Amino acid sequence: MNTAISQEELAQILDQALQEVTEYTAGVRLHQGSQPPGEDLCTVHITFDKGFSTSLTLCADKSLLARMACNSFHEESVTPADLEEFSKEYLNVLCGKVTGAMYQATQIPAHFSQPVFYHGRYEPEGQEAQFILTYSDEHCEGAQLIHHVPRTGEDGAVPVEIEQKGV
Amino acid sequence: MVVDDSRLVKVQLEDTLQGTGYEIAAYCRSGEDAIAQYDAVMPDLVTMDIIMQGMDGLDAAEIILKQHPDARIVIISSLAYKDTFDRAKTIGTRGFIDKPFHREQLLSVFEQALQP
Repeated sequence: MNTAISQEELAQILDQALQEVTEYTAGVRLHQGSQPPGEDLCTVHITFDKGFSTSLTLCADKSLLARMACNSFHEESVTPADLEEFSKEYLNVLCGKVTGAMYQATQIPAHFSQPVFYHGRYEPEGQEAQFILTYSDEHCEGAQLIHHVPRTGEDGAVPVEIEQKGV
Repeated sequence: MVVDDSRLVKVQLEDTLQGTGYEIAAYCRSGEDAIAQYDAVMPDLVTMDIIMQGMDGLDAAEIILKQHPDARIVIISSLAYKDTFDRAKTIGTRGFIDKPFHREQLLSVFEQALQP
C-alpha cells in the first residue's frame, strides 16, 4: 500500500484483518491454503486514495459469500441484492480494519473508495497483483484477497503467493 | 437512535444490544435523515457512522449538537485517525468506537456517554 511498510508486514495485516472480520461478522473461519476459488465467483473491489494508488480485490466463491451473508443478516437465503450489499459492506469493514492497523504501524492515514461489486472475476485496469492471499473454509469454498499496485510495465513484478501460518 | 447506512452494522447492533436494556428507537441511513428525525425521536443516545451517502456523520453530529447541546452522540467508525478523534471531540461527541465493535467496548462507551 505504501513504502513505509514491507510487503510481508502488509500481508500479515491483511491476513489478520480478514480472518478476524470474517469470523466476527459472518461466523466463518477461513484458513490460508493454495486452492483458489472455483468458477462461480463474485468479486468486490475497493481503491485506496489520499495518495495511495493501490487497491484491494476480494474474489470469492459465490456460495461462500452467500453463506457469510446468510449468517450476517440472519436470513435462511439471500437475494442477489443481499449478496451484493453484504459483499460491499464486508469489504468496507475489512478495509476499515486494515487502514486502522496501517495507521498504527505508519501514522499515515489512508482512505478508501466505495466498494464495487462484480459477478465473476474482475481485474482492475492499469494495475497488477502485488500479492495474493488464498483462503478456504471447512466446506472447501474459497476466496482470494489480492493487493493490486500500479502496473510497472512488461518487466513488472510477478505476483507472489504468500502463505502464512498462525498469524 | 442508530445513524448508519450499513445493514451489517444494524444487525450487529441489534444482536449486541439484545437483553441489555437498550432499545433502538430509530434507524437513519444518512446524516440528513438523523437531523430530520432527532426532534421527533429525542433519543437518549445516538450512534453515528462517519462515512455515509450525502452528509457525513461528523457534520450531522455538529448540527445536532448546535441545536441540542445536551445530545449524547457516540461515533462508530473505522476512521480511527487522530484528526478524526480530534474533530469528534471538538464537536462535543461523547465517545468513539472502532468498527468492527465488540460488545464490552460498546456497552462501556454507552455507559460513559450517558453519564450526566
